Amino acid sequence: MPAKTLLLALLLAGTAQAAAPAYDFFICANINRNYVIGSKITTLNGVYQRTDAGEWRHIGYNDTGITAVAFDPRNHNVSYTTAMNGLWRTLDGGQHWRMCNSWDMTEGRDVAVDPNAPDHVYVALTDGVAVSTDRGQTLVRRENGLPARGKYTQAIKVDRTRAGRVLAACEIGIYLTEDGAQNWRQVLPTKETVNDVQQSPHDPKLWLAITQSAGAWISRDGGVTWSNLPGVPADRALYNVTFDVTNPQRFAIGSWAKGVLTSEDGGKTWQTRNAGLPEGHCVWRVGVDPAGRLYASVVKETLYVSDDFGRTWKKDALEGSLVNSFLILPRAAK
Amino acid sequence: MNRFILSCLTFATATLLTAQPSFEAPPPPTAPVQDAGQRHEAYLKRVDEVLDWRAGRIDITQPDKHLDMAAIAVLLTRGEHYDVCSQRVIEMMKDPGTGPFWMFPAVCVAYTGRDKLTPEAQKAIREAWRTTRQLRGDTENHWVMYYSSLYLMADLYPNEPAETWYSGKCSAENLAEARGYLLHWMDDLTTSVGQGEYNPSHYIGEYAIPMLFLATWAKDPEMRIRGRMMLDWLFAELAANTLNGVLRGPNSRTDEGSVIERWNALTSYFSWLLFGNTPTPSGYGGWGVYFAPVAKNYMVPEVIYRIATDRSGDYVQRDRARTRRYWRYSDVLSPPVYKINYLRRDYAVGSIQGIVNDAIQGHAWDVTWAEPDPRGKHNTMFSLHPHSSMRAMQSQFATFPEAMITAVTFEGKPSYDSPDKVLGASSYEKIFQDLDTVIALYDIAPGTRFEHINGFFSKDLFNVSEDKSGWIFAQGGRTYLAYRPLAPYHWIPYLHYSGGWAKEKLPLGGRLLVSPHLKNGTIVQAASVDEFADFAAFQAAIRALPLKYSLESVPSVTMQTLRGKQVTFTYGEAPVIDGKPLDYSKWKLFEGPYLNAEVGGRKMTITHGRLQRVLDFNTLTITDHVTK
Repeated sequence: MPAKTLLLALLLAGTAQAAAPAYDFFICANINRNYVIGSKITTLNGVYQRTDAGEWRHIGYNDTGITAVAFDPRNHNVSYTTAMNGLWRTLDGGQHWRMCNSWDMTEGRDVAVDPNAPDHVYVALTDGVAVSTDRGQTLVRRENGLPARGKYTQAIKVDRTRAGRVLAACEIGIYLTEDGAQNWRQVLPTKETVNDVQQSPHDPKLWLAITQSAGAWISRDGGVTWSNLPGVPADRALYNVTFDVTNPQRFAIGSWAKGVLTSEDGGKTWQTRNAGLPEGHCVWRVGVDPAGRLYASVVKETLYVSDDFGRTWKKDALEGSLVNSFLILPRAAK
Repeated sequence: MNRFILSCLTFATATLLTAQPSFEAPPPPTAPVQDAGQRHEAYLKRVDEVLDWRAGRIDITQPDKHLDMAAIAVLLTRGEHYDVCSQRVIEMMKDPGTGPFWMFPAVCVAYTGRDKLTPEAQKAIREAWRTTRQLRGDTENHWVMYYSSLYLMADLYPNEPAETWYSGKCSAENLAEARGYLLHWMDDLTTSVGQGEYNPSHYIGEYAIPMLFLATWAKDPEMRIRGRMMLDWLFAELAANTLNGVLRGPNSRTDEGSVIERWNALTSYFSWLLFGNTPTPSGYGGWGVYFAPVAKNYMVPEVIYRIATDRSGDYVQRDRARTRRYWRYSDVLSPPVYKINYLRRDYAVGSIQGIVNDAIQGHAWDVTWAEPDPRGKHNTMFSLHPHSSMRAMQSQFATFPEAMITAVTFEGKPSYDSPDKVLGASSYEKIFQDLDTVIALYDIAPGTRFEHINGFFSKDLFNVSEDKSGWIFAQGGRTYLAYRPLAPYHWIPYLHYSGGWAKEKLPLGGRLLVSPHLKNGTIVQAASVDEFADFAAFQAAIRALPLKYSLESVPSVTMQTLRGKQVTFTYGEAPVIDGKPLDYSKWKLFEGPYLNAEVGGRKMTITHGRLQRVLDFNTLTITDHVTK
């Protein structure tokens, strides 16, 4: 359930202040405490969009298990969500949905649309990767090069610079395909799961990854080679990582055990930014909105927001929520 | 009839019929009913008892309080109050549930009411399947319920377009997807490599009820016969693993209540209903009520009935099954597990060897003894490592490490992170069993949550003594028991989580043997009182058994069992019996006097005396033989 920061580079070239109104900001939030399979869903879960008035507006359907959302860059009425059932798709702005997968796929963890081939959709699954080349109408597994075991895939991201170039964050490392998932190769081996991988909105060659037990990693060559970020602790799991679209030097990491970690010098140094968060600071995810505000979803609490990149925090809305992903993307014509 | 008068009569009748005769009465006789006609008549009578009881609880003047989907299905089956049921269905469908536990009750109402509910009510049900997304869940029983329900609804409403279904798929697509999974579950999994939720104390209902629905309502005769064959398969396994109707041995998934009070499980409802040889649990098992409206369409075959009720002697049933899915930290998605159950007249000993099946709800081994009336009796002895593990959660669930342990304690499994729990399985426990000898060894890594083992000593044990030899002797029912802790221990009271949502623990009696040592072990021996002149003789026999053990480096036991076997069992190594290593890879899917099946065979042979039934999923045939 990684944070999503799907960005189109060309549209992000302007300044933050100028760009902010041009972007949409979404979260996938689970607000239903104590829901178990079979009980009634009593709260409104799923995708929320931040309105210009600063409120969270629910869109789509009510599902406690939505992990990620992705939009067709040509038309935002076409979107995809991953959830416990697998992959869902709407073609009409959420009025109708189709469960894209059959019984042989389950528990979608992440979804990504290829901005250079928008009919192509990549899905991270608990047991591998599935691909659709027809906007989710059909899904097939494309796992050549992935290990037989160890392909639990937590996050999947498409390189916005080239169609068919995708990175998958798996149980035993990061895998890269450059041919639309026809073939995969391992580019970073790990002992345990890579929990998130993200591409910089400023420099498409720059990627960050965080892991369960091996800290954080950086790649400056498009995800081919990786080096460890020594300032990030590796003794507990890190849950997600995000960039700041307004400042190329600012990164943030969310972690149950560590809370919020930030860097404002491109990853050279890192600070803990938990002052003002609830005791225990069990952070589920962090995200940055188009104006550079930093958000932290704190388990069993609410969404917190910081105007100074974590130095101070205040409560935002969505009491009791768990945010499974953040998504920022250029506002589309449709 | 005037509706008001009818309502009054119904209410008056209800107050008279709320008793649960078979729950409150003395236990039924356990001997088999020889006459087939009498057996059938008794079965129908039990079915009617469930329907009468459920109908009797309804105050029809307060449908919003009294008419849930089970009540509606019962009334529709009995031919009562169609108008009230219809109105209530319309109300309920305005706010449908999500997921398989809503789906199969809704299917039950849809089918029992298809020629009885008003068109508006039927339309309301159909509309709910358009508007409300159904979550498929993440366990095998969820999926069986989900796809059986989806299959039957797509069957009931064929040729309808994608936009009329929550899934966004047309009727034919839904039917094909559901059929695909159901055939995969039947052919590729259950009848080939074993169930993932074998011997479940409660989840049997989540399988049996959907199978009964398929057997009864599916249009396709193939799916109907598949449903019927799966019912036989499930109930044959139940019959072979019960003693006087009470499920014995290890459980893939269970709960605290059924672990200590073995009778108090939904399996006892099915034993009562099908075999008539144990009291039914209170409320007929809750979910069990959904079986009753359709139960008269199924009658357990005589060969299975006799396995449950007519035992000629002791037997060992050795089976192979598989774990739930390991998403991570395993070389295999669903590794095999090996189940052994030794059943005798007075007691049973059972265990699972292999990998952890279910970290939260697994129950790996125990000795259980027979009680003339099992209600309220904690007729079991076992030990376990009370493990709470982020890694275990991440193995089997799509989750991050820290959250799941907290979440699971709020989601129907309150004891998971408790050091004094008696439920759950640990990767630090390795088990050996031969007949009525169990050796459980523990090699717990330092820093593990928790660093001790628990042994369960029931309130219903008597003559308990801690012998100078190191053995603890006790008697349960007509069973002598010897428990050998391999490391020092102390006692604490047993406190019980009563129910999945319990916040407090109850002092029901009994105690836990707590041994706070990482390298540890338990040996248990059992015997019938008939085998020894007296308890002292049993104790003397146990003391005389050659026994060596070591906890240094790796826990290891070498001993002679009460049945004369020479056994060496070292943690992490194959047990050696009379000089031969035990090779689990050769175990069949089912092997015993009653049930036999080959791995990959898709065929079970069920045998009792001269009777034999073969369930063949390759040919979809049920073949009965009677030897001359």
